[in-house]
Amino acid sequence: MSRWQYLLKRILLALPVVLFGVTVTFLIVRLGPIDPAAAILGPENGSGAEAERIRRQLGLYDPLWQQYFDYLVNLVTLNMPNSWVISPGTPAFELILIYLPRTMWLGFWSVLIALFVGIPLGFYAGLNPNTSGDYIASFGGIVWRAMPNFWLAVILVSLLAQSKDLLGFEWSKLLVETNIVTPPSIAFFNNPVEFITNPGETFTELLKAIKQVAPAALVLGSSSMGNEMRIGRTAVLETINSNYVETARAKGLSERSIVWKHVFRNALIPLIPIITSEAFILISGSVLVELVFAINGMGYLFLQASVQGDLPLVGALMYISIVLLVSVNILQDVLYTVVDPRVGLEQN
Amino acid sequence: MIENENPDNRLTERIADNPRPALVWAAIGAVLILPELGALVQTAGALVSAVLGAFGQAELGSSIVAFGEQIPTLLSRDVIPNSGYYDGTTWQETFLGLEPGVAWGIRVALVYLYSAAFIVWLVNGYFRYREYYREADWTPGDDIINRFSRHSWGKFGFAVVAIFLVMAVFAPALGPTTVDKNIRDPYSYEMSYWDEETNSVESTVVGQANIVSASKGSAERNVGPLQYDDFGRFHPFGTTTDGKDLFTFVASGARVSLSIALLAISLAAGIALLLALITAYYKGLADLAIVLTSDSVQAIPLFMLLIIVFVVFSGTWIGNLYDGAVLMVGVFVLIYWPSLWRAVRGPALQVSGQEWIDAAKSFGQDPLVIMRKHMAPYVIGYLLVYSSMTLGGIIIAIAGLSFIGLGISPPTPEWGRLISDGQPYVASISWHISLLPGIVITLVVTGFNALGDGVRDAIDPQSQGGESTEAAAAGGSGV
Repeated sequence: MSRWQYLLKRILLALPVVLFGVTVTFLIVRLGPIDPAAAILGPENGSGAEAERIRRQLGLYDPLWQQYFDYLVNLVTLNMPNSWVISPGTPAFELILIYLPRTMWLGFWSVLIALFVGIPLGFYAGLNPNTSGDYIASFGGIVWRAMPNFWLAVILVSLLAQSKDLLGFEWSKLLVETNIVTPPSIAFFNNPVEFITNPGETFTELLKAIKQVAPAALVLGSSSMGNEMRIGRTAVLETINSNYVETARAKGLSERSIVWKHVFRNALIPLIPIITSEAFILISGSVLVELVFAINGMGYLFLQASVQGDLPLVGALMYISIVLLVSVNILQDVLYTVVDPRVGLEQN
Repeated sequence: MIENENPDNRLTERIADNPRPALVWAAIGAVLILPELGALVQTAGALVSAVLGAFGQAELGSSIVAFGEQIPTLLSRDVIPNSGYYDGTTWQETFLGLEPGVAWGIRVALVYLYSAAFIVWLVNGYFRYREYYREADWTPGDDIINRFSRHSWGKFGFAVVAIFLVMAVFAPALGPTTVDKNIRDPYSYEMSYWDEETNSVESTVVGQANIVSASKGSAERNVGPLQYDDFGRFHPFGTTTDGKDLFTFVASGARVSLSIALLAISLAAGIALLLALITAYYKGLADLAIVLTSDSVQAIPLFMLLIIVFVVFSGTWIGNLYDGAVLMVGVFVLIYWPSLWRAVRGPALQVSGQEWIDAAKSFGQDPLVIMRKHMAPYVIGYLLVYSSMTLGGIIIAIAGLSFIGLGISPPTPEWGRLISDGQPYVASISWHISLLPGIVITLVVTGFNALGDGVRDAIDPQSQGGESTEAAAAGGSGV
């Protein structure tokens, strides 16, 4: 089977997976006890002519299978129904386009922080096993991973808010002036030409945007960081004791080239599946972290939409999240076949 | 098999041949159980009334509870009371007239000593069985247990988990006050205290006293860890923002969190085990169907699903069942069985390819017997590892839900609600409200992860640990 056939097969298999997820969402939302008319008009006005008109307009009197079918068609064509409560009349997809970039920005930095802290620490621990440095790094990774993200976020916000008294420097005035809990201002992405035409100001903007999400990214990346550290350590330990490394050492290769050419690259392979778990953490876990840091991203939008009973928005957000997760899963499997050709395509 | 071949040599007969070790063990057990008999009868009564309550007949259960209350219990609040008042010269109504804090400390120490003795007794029972009554001199299980007992990180995990399980079991006896008196219904209970201004013993309602002893972040409005409030009440973890005792809250929160998490994970693991055995034995279509189902379920973002479910079902009868705990267990079971099944699918397939399975098939052994006797013991070990590591994620998710005001409905104590309440005071003198529950969560999650590590290294010493699925499980749900 070629790689393309494999990819095609994976995508075909993903279709029922997405269908299942959106069906579950549909069932909970439509068959659950929330009355859409009451959600729109407020709990007191759940009956009466106005509520009746809204129900008819929303198609709630259509047969259930027809509602389900409309719902599916709307999702596939990205023609998602309008939001009810959060921003009445705005198509859900437009709202998502406003909120999603902030989450992506946060997710990008949380992955980066996790990668550039977790993997080097893990490799360091693996190259110096059973030293005090290894123990400190390993124990730190374990505890770091066990801490609830939202709790870490709460503590970090308070620490940064009083950083002058507690840490000796003022976080909000560090480098550039920013608020501690705020949505990142990433408007500069709209015209990237500015980076060349007006570099000074735009790079300050960039720095600002990075600083605004940095604490949240650190929290969100915390558990992945612990995982990457742990797996990196094990992988290095395993490769360093393998026969080919011994052979390389026997033929007199320098320690430096052994580590970089033979150990490092092979040790990266088991780190790939972490991408999936990271994607899960980003999408599912961003709800609380975004809430605490007021990032105003997808997670925050989802929480507001569910608490206020904005059902079309909930359905659309759920759909987008599931599609994202499934795509990351497929991406991971394809990446596997690229990095490690031994992972048999036939076996799948 | 051996039992069938030598019907004369059953365990009961082996004990009859050499009764001394078993008798000694049973006698120690009786001595240990006797002081807690009352509590046991009460628990049994509560269970009976919970079961019969569903059929509208809770009377039998409550009469058992009442009977249990008659029996004096060593580790109860009545035997070693810590809530009393100062009458100007000595403490009244506390244990031996000691300070409330000291009396409470004695009770906590006794509870943990008792529990430690109980665990030692259980472990000792196993070793007695192994030494005197088991027919085989050696089984593979012995190696596993020996390896675990040399694994200090695993033993640390076991100890932490044991500490929290004891906290959950003995929650009513451990708190300096009770949930009912202090948290659920404080305005229905009176208490006496020493008033420094009038120099006399006054009495007030617990709710009133709570208002005065709240922790609000300023030096004059704070009762920190290991401090007494103005009413002579001892607070080991300080007070909450509305003056309730934090330790009582945390201890009964442990009961709520751990029972939900343990129940959910055992049900999910049961489903995973059953399906893993079936799919590994029959393979083919059964396997494919479960792969598809599990992929589908795993693609649903857990925390988002929990949020919608609790928003949609809040206030309905199913959302109110046991303060939402039943609904929560249901969602966790539905979400977590696929990842557990995925984790043990490999080991299950591996064992199903062994020659002894072929041998059993070829002499016509019943498939159910093959699965139970020849496959399950191998799979269960792995299931234990992944369950232990997944538990942390469940505990964090429960706390995360209460953090945003969903999930377990107040006033039932839940750790996440404390973190949310104490949020404005983290960097103030009232830091304990948010920080202590978070540290407790971190500790219990680390404990379960360490226990999982230890069991994994014990059952599979070849593996170096840190497999990807495992890491993902231990990472929790990312909440």
